[in-house]
Amino acid sequence: MARIYEDLTTIIKRSKITLYVLAGLIILVLVFYWKIQVLDHQKYWRMAEANRLRELPLSAPRGLILDRQKVILADNIPSFKVSLVREAVIDYEKTIDSLALLLHLNREELKKRIDRYRFLPAYEPIIIMDNLKLEDVSLIEARKDEFPEIKLEVEPRRYYPFGLTGAHLLGYLQEVSVDEIRTQPEKRWRGGEMVGKAGLEKQYNDILTGREGKILEMVDSLGRPRAEISRTEPQPGRNLELSIDFDLQRKAEELLQGREGAIVVLDPRSGECLAWASSPSYDPNRFISRFSADEWLALVNDPGKPLENRVIRGLYSPGSTFKVVMALAALNEGIITESSTFYCSGAIELYNKEFNCWFRPGHGNLNLPEAIRNSCNIYFYQLGRRLSIDTIADYARLMGLGQKTGVDLPGEKEGLVPSTDWKRRFLRQAWYPGETISVAIGQGPLLVTPLQLACLTSVVATRGFKVRPHLFRGTGNDASRERINLPEAIIEKVIEGMWRSVNNQGTGQGAYQPGFEVCGKTGTTQLISRETAERLVQRGVEVKKTHSWFTGFAPRQNPEIVVTVLVEFGGMGGQTAAPIAGQIFKAYREKYVRQTNLQGD
Amino acid sequence: MLDRRIFREIDSVTILLMVVVSTVGIVFVYSAIYFQASQFVWRQIIWLLVSLLALLVAIMIDYKFLISISVPLYILMNVILLGLLFFGKLVANTRSWIVLGPFQAQPSEVTKIAVILVLARLFSEYREDHLSFKGFVVSSLVVGLPATLTALQPDLGTALTYLPILVGVYILTGMRRKYLIIILAVVLVTGFVGWNYALKDYQKKRIETLLTPNQDPRGSGYQLRQSKIAIGSGGLIGKGYHKGTQSQLRFLPARHTDFIMAVIAEELGFLGLLGVFGIYFLLIYRFFSTVWVSADRAGVYLAFLVTMMIACQFLINVMMLVGLFPITGIPIPFLSYGGSSLLANFLAASLVINVRMRRFRYV
Repeated sequence: MARIYEDLTTIIKRSKITLYVLAGLIILVLVFYWKIQVLDHQKYWRMAEANRLRELPLSAPRGLILDRQKVILADNIPSFKVSLVREAVIDYEKTIDSLALLLHLNREELKKRIDRYRFLPAYEPIIIMDNLKLEDVSLIEARKDEFPEIKLEVEPRRYYPFGLTGAHLLGYLQEVSVDEIRTQPEKRWRGGEMVGKAGLEKQYNDILTGREGKILEMVDSLGRPRAEISRTEPQPGRNLELSIDFDLQRKAEELLQGREGAIVVLDPRSGECLAWASSPSYDPNRFISRFSADEWLALVNDPGKPLENRVIRGLYSPGSTFKVVMALAALNEGIITESSTFYCSGAIELYNKEFNCWFRPGHGNLNLPEAIRNSCNIYFYQLGRRLSIDTIADYARLMGLGQKTGVDLPGEKEGLVPSTDWKRRFLRQAWYPGETISVAIGQGPLLVTPLQLACLTSVVATRGFKVRPHLFRGTGNDASRERINLPEAIIEKVIEGMWRSVNNQGTGQGAYQPGFEVCGKTGTTQLISRETAERLVQRGVEVKKTHSWFTGFAPRQNPEIVVTVLVEFGGMGGQTAAPIAGQIFKAYREKYVRQTNLQGD
Repeated sequence: MLDRRIFREIDSVTILLMVVVSTVGIVFVYSAIYFQASQFVWRQIIWLLVSLLALLVAIMIDYKFLISISVPLYILMNVILLGLLFFGKLVANTRSWIVLGPFQAQPSEVTKIAVILVLARLFSEYREDHLSFKGFVVSSLVVGLPATLTALQPDLGTALTYLPILVGVYILTGMRRKYLIIILAVVLVTGFVGWNYALKDYQKKRIETLLTPNQDPRGSGYQLRQSKIAIGSGGLIGKGYHKGTQSQLRFLPARHTDFIMAVIAEELGFLGLLGVFGIYFLLIYRFFSTVWVSADRAGVYLAFLVTMMIACQFLINVMMLVGLFPITGIPIPFLSYGGSSLLANFLAASLVINVRMRRFRYV
């Protein structure tokens, strides 16, 4: 053989073994790939999907709240915010310079703000300014192309265009609390979501809140959106049309300006509330901007209690307005007729105690209409002596006192109608007949809310029909109209007294409106708390030591409107509350009655 | 000097397989980084043509001659590596690149060929049954010097690819067990010293990542996690070319270089992966068959060491993608984007082809 071969068998054998080992390893690796790719495919597929998909919520605009003439009381306004996307910044210093100039911001503060969020990924926008003014928005919009690193975003935000107006009935929004999210999982709230926390915003939160939409988008490894996969449009919330008349509402609040008190105006035929004022008020807009703990505490601890809705949460003695109930009870129980007279000498001794009439010289002999006209205490003491407290309580409850009116607002209080049973149960004492005498003129433990008194007046005005007061027109709120067990003729006799009170130089003459036949009853309640009075003195307000009531309706035939006014520390009912009510009757008449007359012509 | 007959012996099968794998690589480089692909793809195509040309030129030269000039070549390459440490341009925190206009080259890739040539020269007349102590020390130093210089750049991944060459020498020479024990002892000691005094933090992190891959979601653990998600979500048949979410949305790191196999696995599935593995296996097998038909000892050494280098690099890369090996930045031969590594692998393969076509020279 010519070929000269070296003996390479050993090393070739060794190389062959190496090949087998390598081949074995490759097969092992393949098995491993098989496990990942085929056996665990589902798991990794899900992980890949989680990587690439991102869900973005689309917030639904909240329903609007409108008055009966569609004036918007609670609106949504676009809230603009400007963010900086650092990813797109080319020259950092230059960007800051021009942004500071564009948005009128302090350059150093802007820089500090951006630096504070350095740790965030560069694609995540940093909000540099929110709640932008409209002119700033248009400025930025106009120069959008010059600033690709700026992102202008818009989000619907609740806005109450009239601020303080109607604050107590509208309520306010606040961030949903962690507890609420936890305890009501079916609502599927997100952290930071704004929900109604008071007033109509709370009562009708479910109606007002729309259904949130969502975007499913594809993102890359830096979280940048690449494509939209699907989109569910948000469903805006339903609008809430109220029975409130914006003009009357404004008027009522104007009349309470600088005072603490409440006014409620009802349509006795339907229970629709036309005005609802509680003073002092607050600006619900402040809740939207997530204000600080200090601001919140200041509002809660304000001695004037601006957050309190006095119309349904203020508890007051009804004072002489309760004489309406007394008169109805006495007439219906057959104790008196409208012509029964009692003599008023200015004072009377009952159960070994002297009780005074507010008119010290005395009213002399008077019948029921005159007693109501003059609000004579002695006359009603006489009725109180002849009626048991339990009978009085029955009639008070019949007229709607001591129970919720069922108005569509949260947090309503029940008030208190005392009875022997009540006293036994809560004070563990027997009822003294002397206490009945106090109750007869609306004092004693008796407590009512202004709305209860308005409803009571409404029953009188309709000659015996009870309606449920409400603010939202719709969802069968109008349907409830219920006849109470009291003859029309008896109510008519009390109305005669109420008419005289306003139209015949009675205590309610301040509410007189020529040609509108206002009927009403004043009330003056003795003050319980003196501290409140002293506080008002310090504020420089002229202090009367009594709360001032007026409740009435007009016109006498086919009444259209019930007005109830309470002015805290307003002095005699006739002095303060009645003229305020008169202004409201006037405003109502000018707006509605003249119109119908013109139409009639 | 050239015998015309040997041209008939040019191993076109090997060349074809290499071109196929390289083309698959270019196709997936395009998929992985299509947004800036033109630049990358054209460069890689040019590199492929250059490499092919270099291979054809290289096989003209008898490997015996190449071995004869191996020592100066080896010294030259080491001088370059040493010079890089002092004068090299810092690219991605390492001084491993020579920048020549638009092209950059990593000399440590080419140095491996010089190392193989020197080793072949060293052992071409070595007829002992087992590796002598002197042989053990010399071969270890020959490989260790450029590997150390590379590790200092610092490019731990490339330095690591020197190791299979040395292992190849140990295997062929039939190293005794006592040397194995010495090596293990040295590894343990250097490991201990290195861990505490020499390794940079990022290097330590990479090793730690292998042990606890889920601890650091954005570091190397993140890379491994994304790589496994890409491979696993590909399933049996894959998501389709250019449709891999992990690669297209850039969750996958180093998609066009070290992790390109994960792109293939995601987009072509297990079946596609099997195909690529098949081509590699054929290539490796073909290399081995050259070892067996080699005319002389030097040829065996050349072919075997090149085979070891390429096969191990392939194996380490695919193990790395699924967490069977630390993520060390080792590209996969022929498939990954990268000019000098492609050129180096073609040149290395040219030695194998060289040996095969000259197996009958004494006829």
